[in-house]
Amino acid sequence: MSRKNSHSSNDMRVGRGVGAFFINAILIIFSFSCIFPLIWMFYSSLKEKRAFQLDIISLPAKPTFDNYVAVANDRDAHIWTALLSSFRTTVFAVLLIIVFGYVLGYLLGRLKFRGSKIFSLLLLLGLLIPIHSLLVPIYVVFNRLGIGDKWYTLIIPYVAFGLPIAVFLIHGYVLSVPKEFEEAAAIDGYGFVRTMFSILLPICMPILVTVAIIQTFACWNEFSFALVLINNINYKTVPLAMTQFTGQFNSNYPKMMAAMLLTMAPVVLFYFLFSKKIIEGMVAGAIKG
Amino acid sequence: MLNTMIRPKKSTIFLLLLVPVAWYIFSVFIPLVVAVFYSFFEWKGGPAKTFIGWGNYISMIHDKLFWQAFGHNIYLVVVCIIGQIGLAFVFVLMIMSRFVKLKGIHRTLAFFPSTISAIAIGFIWSMIYNYRYGLLNWFLKAIGRSDLVSVWLNEPKFALILVSLPLIWQFIGYYMVILFSAVAAIPQEIFESAELDGASGFQRAVHIVLPLTKNMIFVCITLCIAGNMKAFDHIYIMTNGGPGTASNVMALYAYTVSFRQSNMGYGSTVSIGIFVLSLAIILGSRALLNYFSKEEAGL
Repeated sequence: MSRKNSHSSNDMRVGRGVGAFFINAILIIFSFSCIFPLIWMFYSSLKEKRAFQLDIISLPAKPTFDNYVAVANDRDAHIWTALLSSFRTTVFAVLLIIVFGYVLGYLLGRLKFRGSKIFSLLLLLGLLIPIHSLLVPIYVVFNRLGIGDKWYTLIIPYVAFGLPIAVFLIHGYVLSVPKEFEEAAAIDGYGFVRTMFSILLPICMPILVTVAIIQTFACWNEFSFALVLINNINYKTVPLAMTQFTGQFNSNYPKMMAAMLLTMAPVVLFYFLFSKKIIEGMVAGAIKG
Repeated sequence: MLNTMIRPKKSTIFLLLLVPVAWYIFSVFIPLVVAVFYSFFEWKGGPAKTFIGWGNYISMIHDKLFWQAFGHNIYLVVVCIIGQIGLAFVFVLMIMSRFVKLKGIHRTLAFFPSTISAIAIGFIWSMIYNYRYGLLNWFLKAIGRSDLVSVWLNEPKFALILVSLPLIWQFIGYYMVILFSAVAAIPQEIFESAELDGASGFQRAVHIVLPLTKNMIFVCITLCIAGNMKAFDHIYIMTNGGPGTASNVMALYAYTVSFRQSNMGYGSTVSIGIFVLSLAIILGSRALLNYFSKEEAGL
Protein backbone atom coordinates (compact mmCIF):
# COMPACT_ATOMS: atom_id res chain seq x y z
CA MET A 1 0.00 0.00 0.00
CA SER A 2 2.12 2.83 -1.26
CA ARG A 3 -0.66 5.34 -1.83
CA LYS A 4 -0.19 6.65 1.67
CA ASN A 5 0.88 10.24 1.30
CA SER A 6 1.83 12.50 4.12
CA HIS A 7 -1.59 14.12 4.10
CA SER A 8 -3.65 11.01 4.70
CA SER A 9 -1.24 9.57 7.22
CA ASN A 10 -1.54 12.82 9.10
CA ASP A 11 -5.32 12.43 9.04
CA MET A 12 -4.96 8.92 10.29
CA ARG A 13 -2.78 10.02 13.14
CA VAL A 14 -5.33 12.61 14.18
CA GLY A 15 -8.08 10.01 13.87
CA ARG A 16 -6.08 7.60 15.95
CA GLY A 17 -5.40 10.25 18.53
CA VAL A 18 -9.11 10.94 18.94
CA GLY A 19 -9.90 7.22 18.94
CA ALA A 20 -7.20 6.50 21.47
CA PHE A 21 -8.51 9.30 23.66
CA PHE A 22 -12.02 7.85 23.58
CA ILE A 23 -10.86 4.30 24.23
CA ASN A 24 -8.79 5.43 27.17
CA ALA A 25 -11.63 7.56 28.46
CA ILE A 26 -14.18 4.73 28.25
CA LEU A 27 -11.88 2.32 30.06
CA ILE A 28 -10.99 4.83 32.74
CA ILE A 29 -14.65 5.60 33.35
CA PHE A 30 -15.48 1.92 33.62
CA SER A 31 -12.56 1.12 35.92
CA PHE A 32 -13.40 4.13 38.02
CA SER A 33 -17.01 2.97 38.32
CA CYS A 34 -15.73 -0.30 39.77
CA ILE A 35 -14.00 1.40 42.65
CA PHE A 36 -16.09 4.54 43.04
CA PRO A 37 -18.91 3.02 45.12
CA LEU A 38 -16.32 1.92 47.64
CA ILE A 39 -14.69 5.34 47.71
CA TRP A 40 -18.05 7.04 48.01
CA MET A 41 -19.08 4.77 50.85
CA PHE A 42 -15.77 5.37 52.56
CA TYR A 43 -15.81 9.15 52.51
CA SER A 44 -19.54 9.24 53.24
CA SER A 45 -18.95 7.09 56.30
CA LEU A 46 -16.69 9.86 57.60
CA LYS A 47 -19.58 12.31 57.54
CA GLU A 48 -22.18 13.02 60.14
CA LYS A 49 -25.72 12.00 59.33
CA ARG A 50 -26.80 15.60 58.77
CA ALA A 51 -23.90 16.45 56.51
CA PHE A 52 -24.66 13.40 54.38
CA GLN A 53 -28.33 14.30 54.09
CA LEU A 54 -27.51 17.82 52.97
CA ASP A 55 -25.20 16.71 50.19
CA ILE A 56 -24.64 13.09 49.32
CA ILE A 57 -21.74 13.61 46.96
CA SER A 58 -19.40 16.18 48.48
CA LEU A 59 -16.36 15.24 50.49
CA PRO A 60 -16.69 15.47 54.26
CA ALA A 61 -15.88 18.96 55.50
CA LYS A 62 -14.86 17.65 58.90
CA PRO A 63 -13.99 13.96 58.53
CA THR A 64 -14.74 11.98 61.66
CA PHE A 65 -14.36 8.34 62.63
CA ASP A 66 -17.29 8.59 65.04
CA ASN A 67 -19.42 6.28 62.93
CA TYR A 68 -16.77 3.59 63.07
CA VAL A 69 -16.38 3.96 66.80
CA ALA A 70 -20.14 3.82 67.25
CA VAL A 71 -20.51 0.74 65.07
CA ALA A 72 -17.58 -1.06 66.67
CA ASN A 73 -19.09 -0.47 70.10
CA ASP A 74 -22.65 -1.21 69.06
CA ARG A 75 -23.36 -4.57 70.67
CA ASP A 76 -26.57 -4.99 68.67
CA ALA A 77 -24.70 -4.73 65.38
CA HIS A 78 -22.72 -7.91 66.13
CA ILE A 79 -19.91 -6.86 63.83
CA TRP A 80 -17.27 -8.78 65.69
CA THR A 81 -19.27 -11.98 66.06
CA ALA A 82 -20.06 -11.84 62.34
CA LEU A 83 -16.41 -11.39 61.43
CA LEU A 84 -15.45 -14.18 63.79
CA SER A 85 -18.11 -16.55 62.40
CA SER A 86 -17.13 -15.83 58.84
CA PHE A 87 -13.48 -16.24 59.67
CA ARG A 88 -14.01 -19.54 61.48
CA THR A 89 -16.32 -20.96 58.82
CA THR A 90 -14.04 -19.90 55.99
CA VAL A 91 -10.85 -21.25 57.58
CA PHE A 92 -12.33 -24.65 58.39
CA ALA A 93 -14.14 -24.99 55.10
CA VAL A 94 -11.14 -23.97 52.98
CA LEU A 95 -8.78 -26.26 54.89
CA LEU A 96 -11.12 -29.22 54.49
CA ILE A 97 -11.70 -28.44 50.81
CA ILE A 98 -7.95 -28.43 50.25
CA VAL A 99 -7.35 -31.67 52.15
CA PHE A 100 -10.30 -33.53 50.60
CA GLY A 101 -9.70 -31.97 47.22
CA TYR A 102 -6.08 -33.00 47.29
CA VAL A 103 -6.84 -36.57 48.34
CA LEU A 104 -9.53 -37.02 45.69
CA GLY A 105 -7.70 -35.10 42.98
CA TYR A 106 -4.52 -37.04 43.58
CA LEU A 107 -6.19 -40.45 43.67
CA LEU A 108 -8.22 -39.73 40.55
CA GLY A 109 -5.15 -38.38 38.80
CA ARG A 110 -2.82 -41.24 39.63
CA LEU A 111 -4.86 -44.39 40.10
CA LYS A 112 -7.55 -46.35 38.39
CA PHE A 113 -9.62 -47.97 41.09
CA ARG A 114 -13.04 -49.50 41.18
CA GLY A 115 -15.61 -46.70 41.06
CA SER A 116 -13.18 -43.97 39.98
CA LYS A 117 -15.13 -43.38 36.76
CA ILE A 118 -18.45 -43.19 38.58
CA PHE A 119 -16.97 -40.92 41.14
CA SER A 120 -15.66 -38.47 38.53
CA LEU A 121 -19.15 -38.40 37.08
CA LEU A 122 -20.74 -37.70 40.45
CA LEU A 123 -18.37 -34.79 40.93
CA LEU A 124 -19.19 -33.45 37.49
CA LEU A 125 -22.88 -33.61 38.37
CA GLY A 126 -22.07 -31.70 41.55
CA LEU A 127 -20.72 -28.86 39.43
CA LEU A 128 -23.98 -28.67 37.52
CA ILE A 129 -26.47 -29.04 40.36
CA PRO A 130 -27.99 -25.64 41.05
CA ILE A 131 -27.37 -25.17 44.75
CA HIS A 132 -30.66 -23.37 45.20
CA SER A 133 -32.57 -26.53 44.45
CA LEU A 134 -30.88 -28.02 47.53
CA LEU A 135 -31.64 -25.22 49.99
CA VAL A 136 -34.95 -26.64 51.13
CA PRO A 137 -33.90 -30.30 51.39
CA ILE A 138 -30.62 -29.44 53.14
CA TYR A 139 -32.57 -27.35 55.63
CA VAL A 140 -34.93 -30.27 56.24
CA VAL A 141 -32.18 -32.90 56.56
CA PHE A 142 -29.99 -30.74 58.80
CA ASN A 143 -32.80 -29.89 61.16
CA ARG A 144 -33.95 -33.51 61.33
CA LEU A 145 -30.45 -34.57 62.31
CA GLY A 146 -30.00 -31.68 64.72
CA ILE A 147 -27.01 -30.25 62.89
CA GLY A 148 -28.73 -27.06 61.77
CA ASP A 149 -27.92 -23.69 63.31
CA LYS A 150 -24.61 -24.75 64.90
CA TRP A 151 -21.19 -23.16 64.56
CA TYR A 152 -20.13 -25.90 62.15
CA THR A 153 -23.38 -26.07 60.15
CA LEU A 154 -22.25 -23.98 57.19
CA ILE A 155 -18.94 -25.78 56.86
CA ILE A 156 -20.78 -28.91 55.68
CA PRO A 157 -22.37 -27.51 52.49
CA TYR A 158 -19.44 -25.16 51.78
CA VAL A 159 -17.01 -28.07 51.71
CA ALA A 160 -19.33 -30.23 49.62
CA PHE A 161 -20.03 -27.54 47.04
CA GLY A 162 -16.45 -26.36 46.88
CA LEU A 163 -15.14 -29.86 46.37
CA PRO A 164 -15.95 -30.52 42.69
CA ILE A 165 -14.10 -27.50 41.36
CA ALA A 166 -11.19 -28.12 43.74
CA VAL A 167 -10.91 -31.75 42.65
CA PHE A 168 -10.96 -30.84 38.97
CA LEU A 169 -8.26 -28.22 39.35
CA ILE A 170 -6.02 -30.46 41.45
CA HIS A 171 -6.66 -33.51 39.27
CA GLY A 172 -5.60 -31.56 36.18
CA TYR A 173 -2.50 -30.31 37.93
CA VAL A 174 -1.48 -33.75 39.22
CA LEU A 175 -1.68 -35.10 35.65
CA SER A 176 0.91 -32.53 34.60
CA VAL A 177 3.39 -33.62 37.31
CA PRO A 178 5.89 -36.25 36.04
CA LYS A 179 5.50 -39.68 37.66
CA GLU A 180 9.26 -39.78 38.29
CA PHE A 181 8.71 -38.04 41.62
CA GLU A 182 6.69 -40.96 42.96
CA GLU A 183 9.03 -43.49 41.43
CA ALA A 184 12.03 -41.89 43.09
CA ALA A 185 10.15 -41.83 46.39
CA ALA A 186 9.27 -45.51 46.00
CA ILE A 187 12.93 -46.35 45.45
CA ASP A 188 13.74 -44.44 48.61
CA GLY A 189 11.28 -46.68 50.39
CA TYR A 190 8.44 -44.19 50.85
CA GLY A 191 4.96 -45.62 51.15
CA PHE A 192 2.00 -44.38 49.14
CA VAL A 193 0.49 -42.10 51.74
CA ARG A 194 3.83 -40.64 52.73
CA THR A 195 4.72 -39.98 49.08
CA MET A 196 1.37 -38.34 48.55
CA PHE A 197 1.71 -35.93 51.44
CA SER A 198 5.41 -35.26 51.80
CA ILE A 199 6.59 -35.42 48.16
CA LEU A 200 3.67 -34.51 45.91
CA LEU A 201 1.82 -32.09 48.16
CA PRO A 202 4.58 -29.44 48.09
CA ILE A 203 4.80 -29.79 44.29
CA CYS A 204 1.06 -29.13 44.02
CA MET A 205 1.30 -25.99 46.15
CA PRO A 206 0.55 -23.51 43.31
CA ILE A 207 -2.78 -25.11 42.48
CA LEU A 208 -3.64 -25.53 46.15
CA VAL A 209 -3.11 -21.79 46.64
CA THR A 210 -5.43 -21.14 43.70
CA VAL A 211 -8.08 -23.40 45.20
CA ALA A 212 -7.67 -21.69 48.56
CA ILE A 213 -8.15 -18.24 47.01
CA ILE A 214 -11.24 -19.21 45.03
CA GLN A 215 -12.81 -20.93 47.99
CA THR A 216 -11.97 -18.16 50.44
CA PHE A 217 -14.01 -15.73 48.38
CA ALA A 218 -16.77 -18.26 47.82
CA CYS A 219 -17.11 -19.11 51.53
CA TRP A 220 -16.71 -15.56 52.79
CA ASN A 221 -19.35 -14.22 50.41
CA GLU A 222 -21.82 -17.11 50.49
CA PHE A 223 -25.30 -16.01 51.43
CA SER A 224 -28.13 -18.43 50.60
CA PHE A 225 -27.11 -21.36 52.80
CA ALA A 226 -26.30 -19.01 55.65
CA LEU A 227 -29.71 -17.36 55.27
CA VAL A 228 -31.58 -20.64 55.44
CA LEU A 229 -29.49 -22.60 57.93
CA ILE A 230 -28.42 -20.02 60.53
CA ASN A 231 -30.65 -18.28 63.04
CA ASN A 232 -28.37 -17.98 66.04
CA ILE A 233 -26.95 -14.48 66.07
CA ASN A 234 -23.60 -15.84 67.26
CA TYR A 235 -23.14 -17.91 64.12
CA LYS A 236 -24.32 -15.36 61.56
CA THR A 237 -21.71 -14.70 58.89
CA VAL A 238 -20.79 -11.34 57.39
CA PRO A 239 -23.30 -11.35 54.49
CA LEU A 240 -26.11 -12.14 56.95
CA ALA A 241 -24.94 -9.44 59.33
CA MET A 242 -24.96 -6.99 56.43
CA THR A 243 -28.64 -7.63 55.80
CA GLN A 244 -29.15 -6.78 59.44
CA PHE A 245 -27.30 -3.46 59.27
CA THR A 246 -29.51 -2.32 56.45
CA GLY A 247 -32.54 -2.69 58.69
CA GLN A 248 -30.91 -1.51 61.87
CA PHE A 249 -29.23 1.65 60.61
CA ASN A 250 -31.77 2.42 57.95
CA SER A 251 -32.13 6.00 59.14
CA ASN A 252 -28.42 6.62 59.40
CA TYR A 253 -26.68 5.91 56.11
CA PRO A 254 -23.17 7.00 57.08
CA LYS A 255 -23.32 4.66 60.04
CA MET A 256 -24.58 1.84 57.85
CA MET A 257 -21.75 2.46 55.42
CA ALA A 258 -19.24 2.36 58.24
CA ALA A 259 -20.67 -1.01 59.33
CA MET A 260 -20.55 -2.32 55.76
CA LEU A 261 -16.99 -1.20 55.25
CA LEU A 262 -15.79 -2.63 58.55
CA THR A 263 -17.12 -6.05 57.60
CA MET A 264 -15.88 -5.75 54.01
CA ALA A 265 -12.41 -4.64 55.04
CA PRO A 266 -10.81 -8.11 55.30
CA VAL A 267 -11.71 -9.16 51.73
CA VAL A 268 -10.97 -5.75 50.26
CA LEU A 269 -7.51 -5.74 51.86
CA PHE A 270 -6.94 -9.34 50.82
CA TYR A 271 -7.87 -8.43 47.26
CA PHE A 272 -5.71 -5.38 46.87
CA LEU A 273 -2.71 -7.03 48.54
CA PHE A 274 -2.80 -10.14 46.35
CA SER A 275 -4.79 -9.02 43.30
CA LYS A 276 -2.36 -10.43 40.77
CA LYS A 277 -2.31 -13.90 42.27
CA ILE A 278 -6.06 -13.75 42.89
CA ILE A 279 -6.85 -12.89 39.28
CA GLU A 280 -4.66 -15.75 38.04
CA GLY A 281 -6.31 -18.13 40.47
CA MET A 282 -9.87 -17.12 39.62
CA VAL A 283 -9.11 -17.52 35.91
CA ALA A 284 -7.74 -21.01 36.46
CA GLY A 285 -10.88 -21.87 38.41
CA ALA A 286 -13.25 -20.35 35.92
CA ILE A 287 -11.69 -22.01 32.91
CA LYS A 288 -11.63 -25.49 34.35
CA GLY A 289 -15.11 -25.13 35.79
CA MET B 1 7.19 -52.54 37.74
CA LEU B 2 7.62 -49.18 39.41
CA ASN B 3 3.93 -48.71 39.19
CA THR B 4 3.35 -51.81 41.32
CA MET B 5 5.80 -50.56 43.89
CA ILE B 6 3.84 -47.41 44.54
CA ARG B 7 0.40 -48.90 44.18
CA PRO B 8 -1.30 -48.74 47.58
CA LYS B 9 -3.39 -51.39 49.24
CA LYS B 10 -7.12 -51.38 48.56
CA SER B 11 -7.83 -50.67 52.20
CA THR B 12 -5.63 -47.56 52.04
CA ILE B 13 -7.55 -46.21 49.05
CA PHE B 14 -10.80 -47.00 50.79
CA LEU B 15 -9.78 -45.19 53.96
CA LEU B 16 -8.56 -42.15 52.07
CA LEU B 17 -11.76 -41.92 50.07
CA LEU B 18 -14.18 -42.66 52.87
CA VAL B 19 -14.59 -39.28 54.55
CA PRO B 20 -14.58 -36.96 51.51
CA VAL B 21 -16.92 -39.19 49.51
CA ALA B 22 -19.30 -39.67 52.41
CA TRP B 23 -19.26 -35.92 53.09
CA TYR B 24 -20.02 -35.14 49.49
CA ILE B 25 -22.81 -37.67 49.10
CA PHE B 26 -24.36 -36.62 52.40
CA SER B 27 -24.53 -32.95 51.40
CA VAL B 28 -25.40 -33.23 47.73
CA PHE B 29 -27.20 -36.45 46.92
CA ILE B 30 -29.09 -37.27 50.10
CA PRO B 31 -30.82 -33.84 50.04
CA LEU B 32 -31.69 -34.35 46.40
CA VAL B 33 -33.37 -37.68 47.20
CA VAL B 34 -35.09 -36.10 50.20
CA ALA B 35 -36.41 -33.29 47.98
CA VAL B 36 -37.86 -35.82 45.55
CA PHE B 37 -39.50 -37.63 48.46
CA TYR B 38 -41.13 -34.52 49.97
CA SER B 39 -42.24 -33.22 46.61
CA PHE B 40 -44.99 -35.84 46.66
CA PHE B 41 -46.46 -34.57 49.93
CA GLU B 42 -48.65 -31.76 51.03
CA TRP B 43 -46.48 -30.66 53.93
CA LYS B 44 -46.47 -27.39 55.83
CA GLY B 45 -43.28 -28.19 57.75
CA GLY B 46 -45.10 -29.56 60.79
CA PRO B 47 -45.57 -33.22 61.80
CA ALA B 48 -48.55 -33.74 59.48
CA LYS B 49 -47.82 -34.85 55.90
CA THR B 50 -50.29 -35.99 53.27
CA PHE B 51 -49.23 -37.99 50.26
CA ILE B 52 -50.68 -36.34 47.17
CA GLY B 53 -48.76 -38.10 44.38
CA TRP B 54 -48.11 -35.84 41.42
CA GLY B 55 -50.36 -33.14 42.87
CA ASN B 56 -47.56 -30.66 43.56
CA TYR B 57 -46.10 -31.18 40.11
CA ILE B 58 -49.45 -30.53 38.48
CA SER B 59 -49.80 -27.33 40.54
CA MET B 60 -46.33 -26.26 39.48
CA ILE B 61 -47.06 -26.75 35.80
CA HIS B 62 -50.06 -24.45 36.19
CA ASP B 63 -48.28 -22.04 38.51
CA LYS B 64 -48.03 -18.72 36.68
CA LEU B 65 -45.69 -17.28 39.33
CA PHE B 66 -43.21 -20.11 38.86
CA TRP B 67 -43.12 -19.67 35.10
CA GLN B 68 -42.90 -15.92 35.43
CA ALA B 69 -39.88 -16.40 37.69
CA PHE B 70 -38.40 -18.82 35.17
CA GLY B 71 -38.92 -16.23 32.43
CA HIS B 72 -37.08 -13.69 34.55
CA ASN B 73 -34.14 -16.09 34.89
CA ILE B 74 -34.04 -16.46 31.11
CA TYR B 75 -34.19 -12.68 30.76
CA LEU B 76 -31.24 -12.35 33.14
CA VAL B 77 -29.29 -14.95 31.17
CA VAL B 78 -29.83 -13.05 27.93
CA VAL B 79 -29.04 -9.55 29.19
CA CYS B 80 -26.04 -10.84 31.10
CA ILE B 81 -24.60 -12.70 28.11
CA ILE B 82 -24.88 -9.50 26.09
CA GLY B 83 -23.93 -7.14 28.90
CA GLN B 84 -21.21 -9.11 30.63
CA ILE B 85 -19.54 -11.12 27.90
CA GLY B 86 -20.23 -8.60 25.12
CA LEU B 87 -18.87 -5.63 27.05
CA ALA B 88 -16.02 -7.71 28.44
CA PHE B 89 -15.02 -8.66 24.90
CA VAL B 90 -15.11 -5.04 23.74
CA PHE B 91 -13.15 -3.84 26.77
CA VAL B 92 -10.53 -6.55 26.31
CA LEU B 93 -10.03 -5.53 22.69
CA MET B 94 -9.70 -1.93 23.79
CA ILE B 95 -7.14 -2.79 26.44
CA MET B 96 -5.18 -4.87 23.94
CA SER B 97 -4.80 -1.86 21.65
CA ARG B 98 -1.47 -0.12 21.74
CA PHE B 99 -2.83 3.27 22.75
CA VAL B 100 -4.17 2.23 26.09
CA LYS B 101 -2.27 3.12 29.22
CA LEU B 102 -2.68 1.65 32.72
CA LYS B 103 -3.55 -1.86 31.50
CA GLY B 104 -2.67 -3.49 34.81
CA ILE B 105 -4.75 -1.00 36.77
CA HIS B 106 -7.75 -1.58 34.53
CA ARG B 107 -7.52 -5.30 35.11
CA THR B 108 -7.17 -4.97 38.86
CA LEU B 109 -10.03 -2.50 39.28
CA ALA B 110 -12.41 -4.18 36.84
CA PHE B 111 -12.04 -7.52 38.59
CA PHE B 112 -12.50 -6.08 42.05
CA PRO B 113 -16.34 -6.05 42.19
CA SER B 114 -16.56 -9.78 41.48
CA THR B 115 -14.76 -10.52 44.73
CA ILE B 116 -17.25 -8.56 46.83
CA SER B 117 -20.24 -10.33 48.34
CA ALA B 118 -23.49 -10.05 46.45
CA ILE B 119 -25.06 -8.59 49.57
CA ALA B 120 -22.64 -5.65 49.61
CA ILE B 121 -23.12 -5.16 45.87
CA GLY B 122 -26.89 -5.27 46.29
CA PHE B 123 -26.67 -2.75 49.10
CA ILE B 124 -24.41 -0.42 47.13
CA TRP B 125 -26.81 -0.44 44.20
CA SER B 126 -29.82 0.05 46.45
CA MET B 127 -28.02 3.18 47.56
CA ILE B 128 -27.47 4.21 43.96
CA TYR B 129 -31.19 3.79 43.26
CA ASN B 130 -32.26 5.31 46.58
CA TYR B 131 -34.89 8.02 46.17
CA ARG B 132 -33.51 10.65 48.53
CA TYR B 133 -29.84 9.79 48.85
CA GLY B 134 -29.19 7.88 45.66
CA LEU B 135 -26.50 8.67 43.11
CA LEU B 136 -28.86 8.11 40.19
CA ASN B 137 -31.35 10.75 41.29
CA TRP B 138 -28.48 13.03 42.29
CA PHE B 139 -27.09 12.69 38.79
CA LEU B 140 -30.47 13.35 37.16
CA LYS B 141 -30.85 16.51 39.22
CA ALA B 142 -27.29 17.56 38.43
CA ILE B 143 -27.95 17.38 34.69
CA GLY B 144 -31.20 19.26 35.13
CA ARG B 145 -33.62 16.39 34.60
CA SER B 146 -35.38 16.47 37.98
CA ASP B 147 -38.53 15.37 36.15
CA LEU B 148 -37.02 11.88 35.74
CA VAL B 149 -36.26 11.45 39.45
CA SER B 150 -38.06 8.39 40.70
CA VAL B 151 -38.34 5.73 43.41
CA TRP B 152 -36.51 3.44 41.06
CA LEU B 153 -36.92 0.02 42.61
CA ASN B 154 -40.66 0.58 43.08
CA GLU B 155 -41.24 0.73 39.34
CA PRO B 156 -42.53 -2.66 38.15
CA LYS B 157 -41.57 -1.76 34.58
CA PHE B 158 -37.92 -1.18 35.43
CA ALA B 159 -37.38 -3.52 38.38
CA LEU B 160 -35.93 -6.40 36.40
CA ILE B 161 -33.52 -4.36 34.33
CA LEU B 162 -32.51 -2.35 37.40
CA VAL B 163 -31.59 -5.50 39.31
CA SER B 164 -29.71 -6.91 36.34
CA LEU B 165 -27.46 -3.84 36.02
CA PRO B 166 -25.53 -4.63 39.21
CA LEU B 167 -25.19 -8.25 38.07
CA ILE B 168 -23.80 -7.14 34.73
CA TRP B 169 -21.53 -4.53 36.26
CA GLN B 170 -20.20 -6.86 38.95
CA PHE B 171 -19.02 -9.60 36.60
CA ILE B 172 -17.77 -7.75 33.52
CA GLY B 173 -14.30 -7.76 35.05
CA TYR B 174 -14.51 -11.48 35.70
CA TYR B 175 -15.17 -12.28 32.05
CA MET B 176 -12.63 -9.66 30.99
CA VAL B 177 -9.91 -11.48 32.86
CA ILE B 178 -10.85 -14.84 31.33
CA LEU B 179 -11.05 -13.40 27.81
CA PHE B 180 -7.85 -11.49 28.39
CA SER B 181 -5.96 -14.71 28.93
CA ALA B 182 -7.52 -16.17 25.77
CA VAL B 183 -6.60 -13.14 23.65
CA ALA B 184 -3.09 -13.04 25.11
CA ALA B 185 -2.59 -16.60 23.83
CA ILE B 186 -3.09 -15.48 20.20
CA PRO B 187 0.33 -15.18 18.50
CA GLN B 188 1.28 -11.55 18.02
CA GLU B 189 2.42 -12.16 14.41
CA ILE B 190 -1.17 -12.73 13.33
CA PHE B 191 -2.10 -9.22 14.43
CA GLU B 192 0.97 -7.72 12.86
CA SER B 193 0.39 -9.30 9.47
CA ALA B 194 -3.29 -8.35 9.60
CA GLU B 195 -2.33 -4.79 10.36
CA LEU B 196 0.12 -4.77 7.45
CA ASP B 197 -2.69 -6.00 5.21
CA GLY B 198 -4.67 -2.98 6.33
CA ALA B 199 -7.27 -4.71 8.50
CA SER B 200 -9.11 -2.22 10.70
CA GLY B 201 -9.50 -2.76 14.42
CA PHE B 202 -13.07 -3.89 13.88
CA GLN B 203 -12.08 -6.34 11.13
CA ARG B 204 -9.34 -7.77 13.30
CA ALA B 205 -11.81 -8.22 16.14
CA VAL B 206 -14.35 -10.06 14.01
CA HIS B 207 -12.08 -12.10 11.75
CA ILE B 208 -9.17 -12.88 14.04
CA VAL B 209 -9.93 -12.47 17.72
CA LEU B 210 -13.50 -13.77 17.68
CA PRO B 211 -12.79 -17.09 15.91
CA LEU B 212 -9.60 -17.71 17.87
CA THR B 213 -11.20 -17.11 21.25
CA LYS B 214 -14.46 -18.81 20.42
CA ASN B 215 -13.95 -21.73 22.75
CA MET B 216 -13.24 -19.45 25.65
CA ILE B 217 -16.28 -17.35 24.82
CA PHE B 218 -18.36 -20.54 24.94
CA VAL B 219 -16.91 -21.31 28.36
CA CYS B 220 -17.95 -17.82 29.45
CA ILE B 221 -21.45 -18.29 28.06
CA THR B 222 -21.85 -21.57 29.96
CA LEU B 223 -20.64 -19.92 33.16
CA CYS B 224 -23.00 -17.03 32.57
CA ILE B 225 -26.02 -19.28 32.05
CA ALA B 226 -25.22 -21.38 35.11
CA GLY B 227 -24.64 -18.23 37.17
CA ASN B 228 -27.90 -16.58 36.20
CA MET B 229 -30.07 -19.65 36.61
CA LYS B 230 -29.20 -19.40 40.30
CA ALA B 231 -29.58 -15.63 40.69
CA PHE B 232 -30.80 -14.98 44.21
CA ASP B 233 -28.63 -12.90 46.55
CA HIS B 234 -28.66 -9.55 44.72
CA ILE B 235 -32.36 -9.65 44.11
CA TYR B 236 -33.14 -10.79 47.64
CA ILE B 237 -31.39 -7.74 49.05
CA MET B 238 -32.49 -5.17 46.45
CA THR B 239 -36.16 -5.85 45.75
CA ASN B 240 -36.98 -9.21 47.31
CA GLY B 241 -38.56 -10.08 43.99
CA GLY B 242 -40.79 -7.05 43.98
CA PRO B 243 -42.56 -4.82 43.41
CA GLY B 244 -45.17 -7.58 43.43
CA THR B 245 -43.40 -10.31 41.53
CA ALA B 246 -41.84 -8.01 38.92
CA SER B 247 -38.28 -9.12 39.64
CA ASN B 248 -38.90 -12.56 41.10
CA VAL B 249 -36.59 -15.42 40.11
CA MET B 250 -36.87 -19.18 40.58
CA ALA B 251 -34.54 -19.48 43.57
CA LEU B 252 -36.31 -16.64 45.34
CA TYR B 253 -39.67 -18.24 44.58
CA ALA B 254 -38.56 -21.56 46.09
CA TYR B 255 -37.30 -19.69 49.13
CA THR B 256 -40.53 -17.71 49.52
CA VAL B 257 -42.74 -20.76 49.14
CA SER B 258 -40.70 -22.90 51.53
CA PHE B 259 -39.71 -20.48 54.24
CA ARG B 260 -42.09 -17.53 54.13
CA GLN B 261 -45.24 -19.50 53.38
CA SER B 262 -43.73 -22.58 55.09
CA ASN B 263 -45.06 -24.80 52.34
CA MET B 264 -42.19 -27.30 52.39
CA GLY B 265 -43.83 -29.90 50.21
CA TYR B 266 -44.49 -27.54 47.36
CA GLY B 267 -41.15 -25.84 48.01
CA SER B 268 -39.44 -29.19 47.44
CA THR B 269 -41.33 -29.58 44.19
CA VAL B 270 -40.23 -26.13 43.05
CA SER B 271 -36.66 -27.09 44.00
CA ILE B 272 -36.88 -30.15 41.78
CA GLY B 273 -38.35 -27.93 39.08
CA ILE B 274 -35.34 -25.59 39.34
CA PHE B 275 -33.03 -28.58 39.25
CA VAL B 276 -34.57 -30.05 36.10
CA LEU B 277 -34.96 -26.74 34.25
CA SER B 278 -31.47 -25.46 35.09
CA LEU B 279 -29.85 -28.74 34.15
CA ALA B 280 -31.82 -28.87 30.90
CA ILE B 281 -30.84 -25.32 29.96
CA ILE B 282 -27.18 -25.70 30.90
CA LEU B 283 -26.77 -29.05 29.15
CA GLY B 284 -28.89 -27.92 26.20
CA SER B 285 -26.85 -24.79 25.69
CA ARG B 286 -23.62 -26.78 25.99
CA ALA B 287 -24.80 -29.21 23.33
CA LEU B 288 -25.82 -26.32 21.10
CA LEU B 289 -22.48 -24.55 21.52
CA ASN B 290 -20.59 -27.79 20.87
CA TYR B 291 -22.66 -28.34 17.75
CA PHE B 292 -21.81 -24.88 16.45
CA SER B 293 -18.12 -25.16 17.21
CA LYS B 294 -17.93 -28.55 15.44
CA GLU B 295 -19.77 -27.23 12.42
CA GLU B 296 -17.31 -24.38 12.03
CA ALA B 297 -14.35 -26.66 12.53
CA GLY B 298 -15.67 -28.83 9.71
CA LEU B 299 -15.84 -25.96 7.25
